[in-house]
Amino acid sequence: MELQKFTYDNRIARMFLNATVLWGIVAMLVGLLIALELVFPRLTHGVSFLSFGRLRPLHTNAAIFAFVGNAIFMGIYYSLPRLLKTPIYSQALSSINFWGWQLIIVSAALTLPFGYTVGKEYAELEWPIDIAIAIVWVVFGINLIMTTIKRRTKHIYVAIWFYIATFVTVAVLHIVNSISIPVSFLKSYPVYAGVQDALVQWWYGHNAVAFFLTTPFLGLMYYFVPKAANRPVYSYKLSIIHFWSLIFLYIWAGPHHLLYSALPDWVQALGVVFSVMLIAPSWGGMINGLLTLRGAWDKVRQDPVLKMFVVGITAYGMATFEGPLLSLKSVNAISHFTDWTIAHVHIGALGWNGMLTFGMIYWLLPRLYKTKLWSVKLANAHFWLATTGMLFFAIPLYFAGITQSLMWKEFTEEGFLKYPNFMETVVQILPMYFLRVFGGLLYISGVVLLIINVIKTAQIGTFVATEEDEAPAFKPESISGDRGHRRIEGKPVLFTIIALVVISIGGIVQFVPMFMVESNVPTISAVTPYTPLELQGRDIYLREGCYNCHSQMVRPFRSEVERYGDYSKAGEAVYDHPFQFGSKRTGPDLARAGVPGSLVHKPNSWHYNHFLDPQKMIPQSIMPPYPWLIKRDLDISSTPKKIRVMQALGVPYPDGYDQIANDDLMKQANQIAQGLRNEGIEVDDTKEVIAMIAYIQRLGADIHRAGSLTSTK
Amino acid sequence: MTTEKNPSDKHNEDYEIDTLTNDRLMKDHEYDGIRELDNGPPSWFNWLFILTIAFAVIYLVRLWVFRADDLIQMKEYNQEMAEAERRAPALEDAGVFEVKLLTDAQSLANGKQTFDNICAVCHLVDGGGLVGPNLTDNYWIHGNSIDDLYRITTEGVIEKGMIPYRDQLSPRQRLEVNSYILEKIVGSTPAKAKDPQGDLYE
Repeated sequence: MELQKFTYDNRIARMFLNATVLWGIVAMLVGLLIALELVFPRLTHGVSFLSFGRLRPLHTNAAIFAFVGNAIFMGIYYSLPRLLKTPIYSQALSSINFWGWQLIIVSAALTLPFGYTVGKEYAELEWPIDIAIAIVWVVFGINLIMTTIKRRTKHIYVAIWFYIATFVTVAVLHIVNSISIPVSFLKSYPVYAGVQDALVQWWYGHNAVAFFLTTPFLGLMYYFVPKAANRPVYSYKLSIIHFWSLIFLYIWAGPHHLLYSALPDWVQALGVVFSVMLIAPSWGGMINGLLTLRGAWDKVRQDPVLKMFVVGITAYGMATFEGPLLSLKSVNAISHFTDWTIAHVHIGALGWNGMLTFGMIYWLLPRLYKTKLWSVKLANAHFWLATTGMLFFAIPLYFAGITQSLMWKEFTEEGFLKYPNFMETVVQILPMYFLRVFGGLLYISGVVLLIINVIKTAQIGTFVATEEDEAPAFKPESISGDRGHRRIEGKPVLFTIIALVVISIGGIVQFVPMFMVESNVPTISAVTPYTPLELQGRDIYLREGCYNCHSQMVRPFRSEVERYGDYSKAGEAVYDHPFQFGSKRTGPDLARAGVPGSLVHKPNSWHYNHFLDPQKMIPQSIMPPYPWLIKRDLDISSTPKKIRVMQALGVPYPDGYDQIANDDLMKQANQIAQGLRNEGIEVDDTKEVIAMIAYIQRLGADIHRAGSLTSTK
Repeated sequence: MTTEKNPSDKHNEDYEIDTLTNDRLMKDHEYDGIRELDNGPPSWFNWLFILTIAFAVIYLVRLWVFRADDLIQMKEYNQEMAEAERRAPALEDAGVFEVKLLTDAQSLANGKQTFDNICAVCHLVDGGGLVGPNLTDNYWIHGNSIDDLYRITTEGVIEKGMIPYRDQLSPRQRLEVNSYILEKIVGSTPAKAKDPQGDLYE
């Protein structure tokens, strides 16, 4: 057989490697800053673009899409051509992929801190950036699929199955969840509202974890673990079983983020059972990773690369056991809205994604620079800093989450909430927040050691820009005798189509009834659209990222109804584009903040003073001050367009209302401001804080306007 | 990678085994030097998978066919509320419970704890007043008897932002905190006192 010569391009892998390290440290430093803000709430006093609500989305986006995203491309661009014995399909597309992705990250860093956000968790980026993401992702997909078509090997290896599933699913998730109507260049409203928006968002959010943080890394594991250990993969059959079951089951599990919410029982139940069934396929990946190391455990003890892989895969096993556990309604009743979730995701991010990424980088460095790693000792130190850092991060937060949740739920013998003041439950867990900062510091110090090793290894070695290899050409007839799964391993396009079908089923089964059957979102006639001032206030609520710390979803529990007011109903959120249920209660729930007589309701003057200086109103509060809301004038030029977009989305404002909306807005603003002035507060009608107060005083109020708050005593 | 040829397969077919584990390698499975073993999944893995699928089927059948109470969240909620109602001790209601000033140290200490946790949010820890009025002076908007304070604490002054504590504090707790205010806060000197509101009493 005639051998053909070809080359692998290491430059693109090196570019992504450097980007991974750079964005990794940035994402983690932003994380450190916001962790510090939780214990020193006045740390960035008055600097709007450094406030917690603005930076938390930057941290999550940077960690997921910049750090892990670049690591995915690094690993794929290195392994894909070698697994297929062919160069990457197009170097031009590789470059577009690289520079396009970095440009997206930079634009995220330039928009999120300045409040340009859609207000949907992990999908905060505004519509022009969303379009750029879709384009760059498709460029990556073309490069991936075309390389598999141009391959010299007969079949595609399991790693590539995972790469393909990653490509098709992330494309579908991103596009479906991001559909919105622009109001201006950097402002848009999602087409979905309320519980429907929540369902789509968590279908996306959960599967961003599945198909951005999990499947690509399983693919990378299948390449880098056997390579680094020089051992065969434990089980090909297991690969088939866990690959297909994983991608089929994962897509159904999103509703477990909405347990005990206003989502119908049947959708919640699907979220529960599909999450439970995910244990086996997830552990299938862990088994295949760890058992591949059989016969190489002596090497694991010495080699920092393998050590990192083992801890990473173990963290994956822990997180994917914990995930189904958290999806049981009885456990979720305790864990949801608390720091337990934060601990859980960091086991995944710091353990699974972080450790695997570091391991890959330490394995790649000597190969890219044709030398030994500059310091194995330093890499070992990094391993220990990362491992202990992760534990110091997660364990205090598990403790904090459970402690706070139990305090929220505890009743006295007389039948009253034991801790009716939310603040008490925050003060209790602040020491844990300090420990988390310490854990994060350890983890970041480890990454600093990595950076030193990256720089020093590059200095002592010589970069191998291209590597030569040779293989015989692929002959289609050579796979004509394939049977069973082997057949689609030889047909990557067919494989991609089957994967697309498999990942589409769960979403369709959940979405179609939710959007078509009215009984899933029962109408409440008392619920009416927001006034123009409230709508503008709501956009400020989104801009400031309030949802990062305040939920708007009272669950049907006695403890929550007593604390916050009547439980939330699906029909109340029908005009919420986007929904703002939230997923974490660093502060109290606000779903009933506008209901007079509820424990969370406060007078306008209280809100004014509280935005200006939270610690003046509640000395131990960890909410940051928002002095800029008091200073800035509300931009009302956008009101007519916003009303028109809302009308296009089906919100029933009367015809022509856009033209008179600002009259109503000024009237309501004057009313609120006059009330404040009567209480001795110097404030103009035109300030942003007036709109914000208007919005908060509307929250949950519609269904209470006629009657009083439901009470059990 | 350590492998060797084993010509004497039971199927009389050439295959290789991995010498470190004695496991059989898949034929013709090699990707950039990576080989795959011909193992099946461990049997505990299969059982785990079957069990979780069984769990899923039973769960969905219980909800969709049998409408099990514990899987329908409104039923669960109503049950929880009914249970709380049933277990609630017969609270001293207005007729039986005597509203009178408490002066014992324990009651005042309990009152202080409630005050610091809840009332201080609006009235400040030293009672000097913030959003809520100053409680240290002798000016009162709604009266200064223990009955007045108890009534305001119980029913609230909703239009001013003072919420009713009927559902948050027990009658005993309300009385303790009212007593604490009258015994310890009134007449004390706060760090920063809000201007007097209401009428002068005494």
